[in-house]
Amino acid sequence: MSSAALSKRLLDEYLAVRDSLPAGVVSAERRHEAIRALAARGLPTARDENWRYTNLRPLERARFVPAVSAAAAALPEAAVLPAVLDGFARYVFVDGIFAPQLSSPGEQTGRGLTVRHLRDTAERSTAPSGATTVRPVARALPTAVGSLPEARLALLNEAFATDTAAIHVSGASDAWQRVELIFIAAAGADAGASYPRVHLALDPGARLALVERHLSAAGGAQFVNSAVSVQVGQGAQLNHYRLQKAGVRSTWLDTLSAVLSADARYRLLAVNSGGLSARGTTHVQMAGPGAELTLSVAALGDKQQVQDHFALVEHIAPRARTEQTFRGIASGRARVAFNGKIAVGEAAAGTDSRQSLRGLLAGPEAEIDVRPQLEIYTDEVRCSHGATAGKLDKDMLFYLLSRGLSDEVAQRLLKWAFLEDVVSRIDIPGLRRQIEHDLAGQMADAASLKELL
Amino acid sequence: MLKIENLHVKVDGKEILKGLTLTVAPGEVHAVMGPNGSGKSTLANVLAGRPGYEITAGSVTFQGRDLLALAPEERSREGVFLGFQYPVEIPGVNNVYLLKAAVNAARKHRGLDEVDAFEFLTLVREKMRLMRMEESMLSRGVNEGFSGGEKKRNEILQMLVLEPRLAILDETDSGLDIDALKIVANGVNTLRSPERSLVLVTHYQRLLDYIVPDHVHVLVKGRIVRSGDKSLALELEKRGYDWVTGEAA
Repeated sequence: MSSAALSKRLLDEYLAVRDSLPAGVVSAERRHEAIRALAARGLPTARDENWRYTNLRPLERARFVPAVSAAAAALPEAAVLPAVLDGFARYVFVDGIFAPQLSSPGEQTGRGLTVRHLRDTAERSTAPSGATTVRPVARALPTAVGSLPEARLALLNEAFATDTAAIHVSGASDAWQRVELIFIAAAGADAGASYPRVHLALDPGARLALVERHLSAAGGAQFVNSAVSVQVGQGAQLNHYRLQKAGVRSTWLDTLSAVLSADARYRLLAVNSGGLSARGTTHVQMAGPGAELTLSVAALGDKQQVQDHFALVEHIAPRARTEQTFRGIASGRARVAFNGKIAVGEAAAGTDSRQSLRGLLAGPEAEIDVRPQLEIYTDEVRCSHGATAGKLDKDMLFYLLSRGLSDEVAQRLLKWAFLEDVVSRIDIPGLRRQIEHDLAGQMADAASLKELL
Repeated sequence: MLKIENLHVKVDGKEILKGLTLTVAPGEVHAVMGPNGSGKSTLANVLAGRPGYEITAGSVTFQGRDLLALAPEERSREGVFLGFQYPVEIPGVNNVYLLKAAVNAARKHRGLDEVDAFEFLTLVREKMRLMRMEESMLSRGVNEGFSGGEKKRNEILQMLVLEPRLAILDETDSGLDIDALKIVANGVNTLRSPERSLVLVTHYQRLLDYIVPDHVHVLVKGRIVRSGDKSLALELEKRGYDWVTGEAA
């Protein structure tokens, strides 16, 4: 399908459903703006420099209208949902819409934490209990969203969004707030798309640990396009763990945009292992002096999977620090790509950035693309980067074989070790155990590796 | 136990072992000595099954089986252990995981159940004390950040836990100070028994003061040119390798 024909179909689908889209989530005016901007610019194609590793074919086939989820009530909870993490309030969204019966918000008090799902907000006259700081509903995403060509799929989300998880942490406090968001894609792609949407705002000095999971109901082939916006206020700290485990036949597209104020600290860790075609776009602006970003991404691809990630970190203010770590493994015929760009602006003297990008080729037909990019427009910066792609170390492999481990187990163990630089940064023990078991399960059909944990 | 006959081995097209013959009986300790480049490490690696070595002639029989037909992991499970000259660091793979996986692989091969976790740890701790290793090393990555001496001690620890029938120690003494050498030798000696054989590959006689061999062989240019008892090692020490290389030339 030509790009013009695709834009036309996108517009038609939007016009057909626009009146039924909830204004409390995104106003009609902003939806209109978003769809216009997206149609004018066109959906990304393989000719776009920073989309060349993405599998974009599912976009041509996609039904963009939101899937109407009847599945939420019938969802087999135990089969899909991971064990509850200690101390975390859980909010579950099915096909992008809040599912209260699957959620366990716990003792959500008014002490600084507000979690709302915006779909119902417009229909209610009073604020939900405990929500002491009600904000205007329409400020879901900053206006700049989608202005970056790589972030344009956020516009698609903005046009069709069906709900938003809006989290606001107010007030400086040494206490960490803990929230878990789970997005489950249930409806098949032929029924429509799923639009997870998150808005995070941390006031100065606030602290939040957020676990965000993306899962699929068993077996389905879903189309997911999520958008996350993050504002970390001055001196605030956000630990954000994003786990993408979409179904093996799913398309998973994601755009995260974050703005860091002075001395803000953002630790963003992503583990991407699901989906047939997955693409993550991360755009972080270091807008305040002394801001700190730790971006760690692990990606695992097997069979025909495509795992693509593009990360742009813009250093706008001086003395900010970025540490970027990527570890990706491609097995079977999978393609795993990470394109990490760091741009240091004129006013960003004293920037300190480090990039360590490593890919492991674990199959004769697999593909790894790791690409560090640096653009520096000022002096007095310290920027280092390293990027490697290679096969399993032969000496390590022989060492394990010489101790009696089978070739299969030895290879799995080394793949496991390869991801350790990212996985070891997960400082929530329960979460780390879950992820280790997931990854072990993904790398091993046999229990041989799990038994080691 | 081990019978090597007329072994010829090429590496990158170049012949390194040129007709090596050696027989090791159960319970014996053999030292294979030789100057640099004589083929000592090639012998150790070929016995363990390292890829990259082309065997052009000869045979190796281990307990009546054709050792060269077995994959490296099968050799290990059958009871062959190689102590590496340069043990590799494997960050992210825990020492204790590796030990346990190795023990269980061997047990499975013998039709035994997996080792009991508590008994296993008790055993490992006991052997670590013998090797004067800090217990915290267990939870670190395999050899990760270990000093040269710690790596060698870790090799011997693995050997003590795996209890092989035939251990080949490739220059285990290199890079060790005298205290570490004694610890390593002591560890090796606790494993000596009538059913177990040892092949010590070494450049220097020093190790043999602490692990006394039954037989000493001198390897020069891919062949054993002289064999004798421990006094041969002392004579070598006194007269240098020129003594035998001159003879071999």
